[in-house]
Amino acid sequence: MIRTETPKRPTKLDELLDAKLIARVGQLDVTSRKIFSGKLRGERRSKKRGESVEFADHRPYVSGDDLRHVDWNIFGRLDRLFLKLFLEEEDLCLHIVLDCSASGDCGDPGKFLYMQRVAMALGYIGLVNYNRVAMTAIGTQDAEMVDGKAVSTGIVSSIRDLRGRRRTNELAQWLCSLEPAGGSNFGEAAKRISVSRRGKGVMVVLSDYFLKEGYQDGLRLLMGRGYDVFALQCLSPEEVDPESSDKFRGDLRLRDVEDGDFAEITVAAPLLKKYKANLAAYCDELRTFCARRDINLLTVQTDTPIDTLLLDYFRRRGLVR
Amino acid sequence: MTWLTPQLAAIAAAIAVPALVILYFLKLRRQNVEISTTLLWKKSIQDLQANAPFQKLRRNILLLLQLIALAAILFALAQPQRQDQDQAVGVRRVILLDRSASMNATDAGEDAKTSRLDKAKAEAVELVSAMRQGSFFGLDLGIGDSGGVADETMLISFDSSAEVVEQFTSDKAALIRAINAVQPSDTPSELSQAMTLARAHLPSQTYYDDRSAETIKLEGRTLGNVAVHIFSDGRLPDAAEVLTQAVEGSDRHPIEFVSVGSAEAVNTAITGFSAERDYDNPQELAVFVGLESTAREPRTVELTLLIDGVAERVRDVTIPAASQPQGVTASTAEGGATANTDWVPGSIGIVFPLERSEGGVFAASITPASGSTDAAPDALATDDRAWLIVPPARRLSVALVSARGNLYLREALLGLPLATLDLFTPADYAAAITDGRAARYDVAIMDGTLPPVDAEGSLAPGRYLIYGAVPPPPAGATVGEMVQGAQFIDWRRDHPVLRAVNLDSVLIAEIPRIQLPDTSATQILAESDAGPALLELSTADVRALVVPFDSIRSTWPLDISWPVFNAAAIRYLGLAIAADDSGSRVIRPGQVLVDRIPPGSTSVVITGPDGDKSNLQPAADGRVVFGPVRTTGTYSITWSGATTGTDTGSPAGRGARTYAVSLLNSGESNIPARDTLKLAATTVSATDTSTTRAAQRLWPYLLLAAIAVMLFEWWVYNRKVYL
Repeated sequence: MIRTETPKRPTKLDELLDAKLIARVGQLDVTSRKIFSGKLRGERRSKKRGESVEFADHRPYVSGDDLRHVDWNIFGRLDRLFLKLFLEEEDLCLHIVLDCSASGDCGDPGKFLYMQRVAMALGYIGLVNYNRVAMTAIGTQDAEMVDGKAVSTGIVSSIRDLRGRRRTNELAQWLCSLEPAGGSNFGEAAKRISVSRRGKGVMVVLSDYFLKEGYQDGLRLLMGRGYDVFALQCLSPEEVDPESSDKFRGDLRLRDVEDGDFAEITVAAPLLKKYKANLAAYCDELRTFCARRDINLLTVQTDTPIDTLLLDYFRRRGLVR
Repeated sequence: MTWLTPQLAAIAAAIAVPALVILYFLKLRRQNVEISTTLLWKKSIQDLQANAPFQKLRRNILLLLQLIALAAILFALAQPQRQDQDQAVGVRRVILLDRSASMNATDAGEDAKTSRLDKAKAEAVELVSAMRQGSFFGLDLGIGDSGGVADETMLISFDSSAEVVEQFTSDKAALIRAINAVQPSDTPSELSQAMTLARAHLPSQTYYDDRSAETIKLEGRTLGNVAVHIFSDGRLPDAAEVLTQAVEGSDRHPIEFVSVGSAEAVNTAITGFSAERDYDNPQELAVFVGLESTAREPRTVELTLLIDGVAERVRDVTIPAASQPQGVTASTAEGGATANTDWVPGSIGIVFPLERSEGGVFAASITPASGSTDAAPDALATDDRAWLIVPPARRLSVALVSARGNLYLREALLGLPLATLDLFTPADYAAAITDGRAARYDVAIMDGTLPPVDAEGSLAPGRYLIYGAVPPPPAGATVGEMVQGAQFIDWRRDHPVLRAVNLDSVLIAEIPRIQLPDTSATQILAESDAGPALLELSTADVRALVVPFDSIRSTWPLDISWPVFNAAAIRYLGLAIAADDSGSRVIRPGQVLVDRIPPGSTSVVITGPDGDKSNLQPAADGRVVFGPVRTTGTYSITWSGATTGTDTGSPAGRGARTYAVSLLNSGESNIPARDTLKLAATTVSATDTSTTRAAQRLWPYLLLAAIAVMLFEWWVYNRKVYL
C-alpha cells in the first residue's frame, strides 16, 4: 500500500500483454449473463429477430409481411401462411472502467500496472471476438477550481467503439498513455458513463474500491443502466497484510496520496489486528452490496499471476469462456 | 549570584534536557509514509480509541495531569515540612580564625616569612575545601562521601572583638574568599567574644530529650550540633573558661583546635612602657621600659628611646632566658613532652631617668644587638616598638571658691606646691566660667557652694572638691534632713585619696542624710553612722569629690588627716587631668579612640601610622570617635580651629594631637604556640541519648513531582497513548 516512488510504466503492448499470454487468451471470449441488443451485426445472439442462419420461431402471416420470409414448405403442407423467424446476431459491448487515481501507484506489484494488464487482456479478448470495446479511465485529474471548489467530471480519458484485432495496438497505446494521479469521484464518473453510453453490455470496473466518497452510488447507477457489471477489486499484498512490508514499522505518519489526509499511527499488534478486521469487514460489505445487486465481484491481490486470473478466476466467474 | 547546589542542577539538567529533546525528536521523527488510503487506518484508530477504557476521559487526561502538576506546584509554594527522625543532617561548622597580634608571628613556615595567620588561613581553606557538597533533595547520589546533605560553615574572625565574616553557607568559593580576606590586627585575643557570637548565630533547633518517661521538647541554641574549629596559636587567655562552657553537650562534634606556629618561637618584646614625673619636681621624668623574651637562653637587644623621633638613649639590654615553672617540671619529665608546658618568659625592666619638662611623643624600640649571633630571629615585629605620649611638666592651678574665706582650707592649700591659688566668691567664679577664665584652673574647691548648675541638673564641666554642698540629681544625690552628731565608720582605704588618712577621730556636728538615686553617677567613698559622708561623682565632663557636711562644723580641720586629704584630693583630681589628657592618648589595639577637640573645629583628619588619612565628623561638643584601632603606631588628629593647652599648633592654624597605640601585652608577646587548649572540666554530655529531629523540606519533592507529571503529560499528548 506504500506508494512506489518510481512505478513501472508500460510503454508498448508487449509490456502489457506478452505473446504467450496472447496465445492463451486468444481462444477466450467474453460472456454476458444478459442478452443485449447490439449496434452492428456481430457474432453474438441479439434480442432482435434477424437474418442469421439460426432458426428462432414461426408466426402467422399478417398482411404487409415480407413474402420472402414466408415458409413455403408449411404453406404446402397446411395451406396456411406462416412466416419463418431467424435469430439476429449482433456484437457485444465490453466496457472496461479503470480507476486512474493516485492510489494505483501504491503497492508492490503496483495496482495500476496490474489493472492496466488486466484491462489489456480483457480488451484483447473483446477485440478478437468482434465485440465493441470501450475503456474509460476515471479520476479527478481534470479537476478545475470553480468558486474555490474542485469540480471534476470524474473521467480522465476514454476510448470507445474499438472492434477487431487490428485495434489492439490502439488500445495498448491508450492504456500506456494513462498516468495515475489525483483522487477519484466514482459517483460522478458513473453518472457520466451511464448517461453517455448508449450501447449496453458487459462492464468491468477495475479499482481497489477504497473510495472515501463511497462506491455504492456509482455501482448503483451503473446497474441501473442495465450493464452486466463485473467488479474486480485489486489489492496489493501489503494492504492485505501490512506486516509483510519492511517499511511498515514503528511510529508512522500516514499520508493519503489522494487527498493528503494524515493519520498518525504506531504499528503495534492491536492496531494491525484491528486493521485486518476492518479490511475484512470492508470487503465483506462490498461483497454483500454486490451480491444484492447481482454484481459479480472478484477480489484479487496484485501478486496473483495474470494468466491465473484470466484463465481460472474469470472463467470460473463466467466473465470469459 | 550564588549557586548553592550547582552539582544537582547539572545532574537534573543532564537528565531532563536530553529526555525532553528525545521526546521532542520522538514527535518529529514520526516517519512520513504515503499510502493508498488512510480510510481503514483512521477507522482502526477510531476503533481502538472507542474500545479503550476511560475513552471519555481521553481528552481530559491531559487536563487531569495538568491539574496534578499545578497542585504539586501549589503545594510546593506552601512549603510543607515534615518532622523527621534520624534525618541526615549536614555538618555545621564554625571556623574561629584568630587574627590577634601573636598571629603575626612569622614562624609558621620554613622560611621565617609565613605568618601564623597565613598558615591558619591555608588550613581553614583546606577544611572548607573538604566540605561535603549537598544535593537538593538529600538523596545519596553517590558522588560525595555520604548523605548528600551539604555541610554548612560559618566563619568568624576574632581578636579582642569578633566579627562574622561569612554566615552559615555551603558556598565554598564564598568561604574561601572570606577566609583570604581576613586581615591581621595588632589586638590581643579574646575567645569568649567569638564563642558568644558563634552561639548567637546558631539556628534555633528543637531537641527531643526522651531519656525520661516523657519526651521533653527543648528549643535552643547550643554548640552541641556544630563542629567548632579554632584556628589559632593557642594564645587564648580565656580559652579554659570559655571552652568549658562550650563543650557542654558537644559529644557529636568535639571542638577541634588547629594549632599553628612553633612552640619554640622566639620573641623579644616591649611589654611595658610608661613615664612618670616627680610630683615635687615635675621636670624629673622617669621612663620605664619593660622587656620580655621567650628565648630559652639570655638575649641581648639594643633598646633605643626616641623622643619626637630623635634617639635620646641607646642601651644594650640582656634579657634573661625563659624558665619553666617549678611545679610542672616533674610531671612533664615523666610524660616526656615539654611542648605543652608554658615557659615563663624572661623579663627585665629598664628605667631611663630624664630631665625634661617638655612633653613629647616617646618611642621605644628594640633591635637585635649588633654582633649578636642568635640562632632564631625575632618572630613578632609588632611588639618591638612602643609609643607613649608624655604631657609637659606643670604644677596645678587651684581656685578656691568660698563665700566666707575658709581659713582652714586656705591654710591647708597654701602648704601645697601649687602653681597658683586664687580666691573667688561664688558670683565671681560663675562669671569666670562664663568668660572662660575658669578654664585655667585645674581644680576648683567649692566651700559651701556648688558650681553653676544647668537646667538638667548637671554641673558645669570641671574638676571640683566640694565641701558642704551636694550636686543635685540625676548625677548627684538628694539631700534629706540634717542629722546631729555623726562619726566616720568606714571608708575605702584603697582609694588614692583615702589611702593615707585615718578618719576615726573626726566628729561631725551636723550632716545631711544623703540618698543616691538609681541614675546617680556618684559612688560612696566613706560612710558615717548617718549615711554617706564622702562621695565621688564622675561623669563625662565632671569629676568631683563631695564632702556633704560643712567642714567648719566638724573636728576635721583640726585633725592631721585634713591637710593630707586635701593634698591627696587635689593631686588626685589634678593628675586625673594629666592622666585623662595623656591617658586618653595612649590606646591599646582594639580599643576605640575617643577624644574631645575644641568645639567648632572643622576638617578633622586622622592620620594613621602608615600615613593613610580619613576624615572624622566631630559631634557638637567636639567629641571624635575613631576605631576600633587595629594596628600599632602613632595616630594624629588635626583640625582647623582653636587649640587647647597640650595641643601643638601648626602655622596653617591647624591644631594637632598625637595618640600612641602600642601592644604592651605580655600575653600576646608570649608567642610560643600551644598544641592543646586547656579545659578546666571534663566533657559532660547532655544529649547522649536524645535524638535530633529536624524539619525536612518537602517542596523540592513536590516540584520534582510536578516536573515528572508535566513530562508524562507531554508524552501522553504526543504519543496518544491510551490508558
